Amino acid sequence: MAGKIKQKILIVDDSEMNRSILADMLGEEYDIIEAEDGVQAVGILSKQASELSLVLLDIVMPKLDGFGVLGAMNQNGWIIDVPVIMVSAESGSKQVERAYELGVTDFINRPFDALVVRRRVVNTILLYAKQKRLIGMVEDQIYETEQRSSLMIDILSHIVEFRNGESGLHILHVRTLTAMLLELIAARTDKYGLTPREISLISTASALHDVGKIAIDGAILNKPGRLTSEEFSVMKTHTTVGAEMLQAAVPGWMTDEEYDEIMKTHTTAGADMLARIPVQHGEDLVKTAYEICRWHHERWDGRGYPDGLRGDEIPISAQVVSLADVYDALTSPRVYKPAIPHEEALQMILDGQCGQFNPMLLQCLVDNAEKIRTALQGDAAEEIQQRNLRSISEEALRGEGGAVSERTLRLLDYERMKYHFFAAMSEEIQFEYTVTPSMVTLSAYGSKMLGLEEIFMDPLHSEKLISIVGARALEEIVRRQRDSTPDEPDSTMEVLVHLDGESRWFRVITRSVWSKDLPPRYTGLLGKAIDIHEEKMRLRELEKKASCDPLTGLLNRTSAREQIENRMLVHPDGHFALAEIDIDDFKRVNDELGHIFGDRVLQELARRMKHSVRNSDICCRAGGEEFFIFLEYNTDIERTLERIFSNICFELDGRQVTVSVGVALGDDVGQRYEDLYHAADVALYAAKRGGKNRFCFYDETMGDGGTDATKGE
Amino acid sequence: MTLRDCYDKLGGDYEEVLSRLRSERLIQKFVLKFPDDGSFETLVRAMGEKNQEEAFRAAHTIKGMCQNLSFTALGRSADELTEALRNGWSDEAPALLEKVSADYARVAGAIGELKASL
Repeated sequence: MAGKIKQKILIVDDSEMNRSILADMLGEEYDIIEAEDGVQAVGILSKQASELSLVLLDIVMPKLDGFGVLGAMNQNGWIIDVPVIMVSAESGSKQVERAYELGVTDFINRPFDALVVRRRVVNTILLYAKQKRLIGMVEDQIYETEQRSSLMIDILSHIVEFRNGESGLHILHVRTLTAMLLELIAARTDKYGLTPREISLISTASALHDVGKIAIDGAILNKPGRLTSEEFSVMKTHTTVGAEMLQAAVPGWMTDEEYDEIMKTHTTAGADMLARIPVQHGEDLVKTAYEICRWHHERWDGRGYPDGLRGDEIPISAQVVSLADVYDALTSPRVYKPAIPHEEALQMILDGQCGQFNPMLLQCLVDNAEKIRTALQGDAAEEIQQRNLRSISEEALRGEGGAVSERTLRLLDYERMKYHFFAAMSEEIQFEYTVTPSMVTLSAYGSKMLGLEEIFMDPLHSEKLISIVGARALEEIVRRQRDSTPDEPDSTMEVLVHLDGESRWFRVITRSVWSKDLPPRYTGLLGKAIDIHEEKMRLRELEKKASCDPLTGLLNRTSAREQIENRMLVHPDGHFALAEIDIDDFKRVNDELGHIFGDRVLQELARRMKHSVRNSDICCRAGGEEFFIFLEYNTDIERTLERIFSNICFELDGRQVTVSVGVALGDDVGQRYEDLYHAADVALYAAKRGGKNRFCFYDETMGDGGTDATKGE
Repeated sequence: MTLRDCYDKLGGDYEEVLSRLRSERLIQKFVLKFPDDGSFETLVRAMGEKNQEEAFRAAHTIKGMCQNLSFTALGRSADELTEALRNGWSDEAPALLEKVSADYARVAGAIGELKASL
């Protein structure tokens, strides 16, 4: 089998000494992998379960005990392919019982005896290897059967169509009936050594029972009336001729001269078709077909032809096919007769009208008459073929129908390799979570990045994980998973991750995994986390840029308005003031001293505005030389404004810069931005009209008073 | 000092271990390794912290190793402590720990002598 490749054994024990005693006892013949607790063991299993020949498992271990490992092995189906021997000082019958229920194959109690350990290990591996081989064998068989069947039917439907009026259904019926009868016999006695493989072989070969008819003159073959005795003796030769043709199909089974002789005397069409039988697999098949062709007209009492064999001298294959042939010939229409009903046909056979058959065989037929009749009705043949294939594997595996096939394992191996490759290449934190056991598996890169073990238990209570991701983010992930459905399993969120004293933004994408049960159970999640910190910071920077006036760095009107509205919404009872500021005679400053100086004036004013208020107050350049400040006050607003006002009038390069300010209070005009702004505007014009270089509070007597007279100075 | 002498001194059964492990070389290897196992220290610490679960596991591990090496005396006292801790904290446990500690000291001493004589 595996040649010189050493079989791998996983030893799971928390005591290093116990592991090394076991490893030493098993010696050089095996490749030993060690795990010091259940979590490590599950990690190793999840990576290479299909490569392991055996697990030696301790019960009492930290983190995850032996039963936990068995639970995970059951959950993931590993227990089907990987045998487990429990190794423990525990001998309580409850423990032992529970372990057997969870699928362990054997127990080894401490203290270890070198011989016992070695013997148990060898036996267990052998037993499982046998089972694995058996799975492979049955698969091959199914494959072979499929190949053969389609080829045979191909050949024979041609021959039958070509040579006589029988429908191809006869061949299907004979095959179906043969398989059924053989199974009934096998259930009754093992006298004939009928294995599932043998049954499949005989029923497949049964399709060739009349192959010799190719050589019979069509006039005789399709004659509607009774055959003369001469014609009948020609007809009889289809048995021996068929047998000879089959002989010819197997190289070395006959001499070249014999072969040529046969090929000359029989039609080339038949020879061609026989040449298509896949001989490398087909020797047994051809030999079985030979028996059937030659002896399917022999009878139990020795009165059949061509050789006059009697009783069990006739191979069981030929006995069964002859009965199936007779039954179907009777119940189907022929050129020389109509179809005979089932009951009548059965009676004729029992009465010996078609010759004597093996009494045991007749008993099988009678006992299952109804089953047989329904089986052949309609076009049930194909279905039976399918059932037949299934039963081969089922019988061989004794109910282990759901076992994973080698092919599936190979595919899984491949997928796993692919996954690991991409996971390693992607520099993404990938993770997997299972509910039972509550366990997280991280990709190698993820484990390195986060400084967490590749596999760890109980993530919701892992202090380290909580310190990295934060309890709230973890709860949020759990909540989202719980709210997801099999139809909408995906979820994306942004999480601030704290690593090595640094905080970075990650996007966490998860998909919940559901069982195939009805209703589906939530069994875990798959996910990955991508570092989006740079991206997010760039975005923030852009946002900030978009909300600010590039010259002064103050907020622009749109974003200031948003923030003001938001502030008033959050604190509806706050005392707010909006001060609109306009630089006096700015147009003249610009004209006389140039735009660059003008810009410096704007920048200086902005700087002074910011210094005059708290960080929480909002400073804005609304456009041109117009600014405003939005602030919350608790005490004397007038004094506050006096202070601000004196701060924002200044001298730059010998030039005195003054401003006019209009102030509106939320308490007077209401907590609406538009109203505040409008009132402040009115007050500003009042200040301008009053001679500039001053500030004015809005009051109702101003009405809408402002005109354009002072604007633009 | 022979391996057999060492076993006599530490309260073990040399005949028994030889019949199972079948190799003097292997037995000696494991005996010399025994003091490197940290389970005893873990046991003493866990008992001090009254951490029943961890103490149980450590006692259990010591018991298992003793069974494998046929350290009969220490194995027996470790077994008694294991059982006392199996279903929760027990007031007998500290006294049993004393016994385990004494047996452990005896084992460690004998192995130390063996090592020195090699």
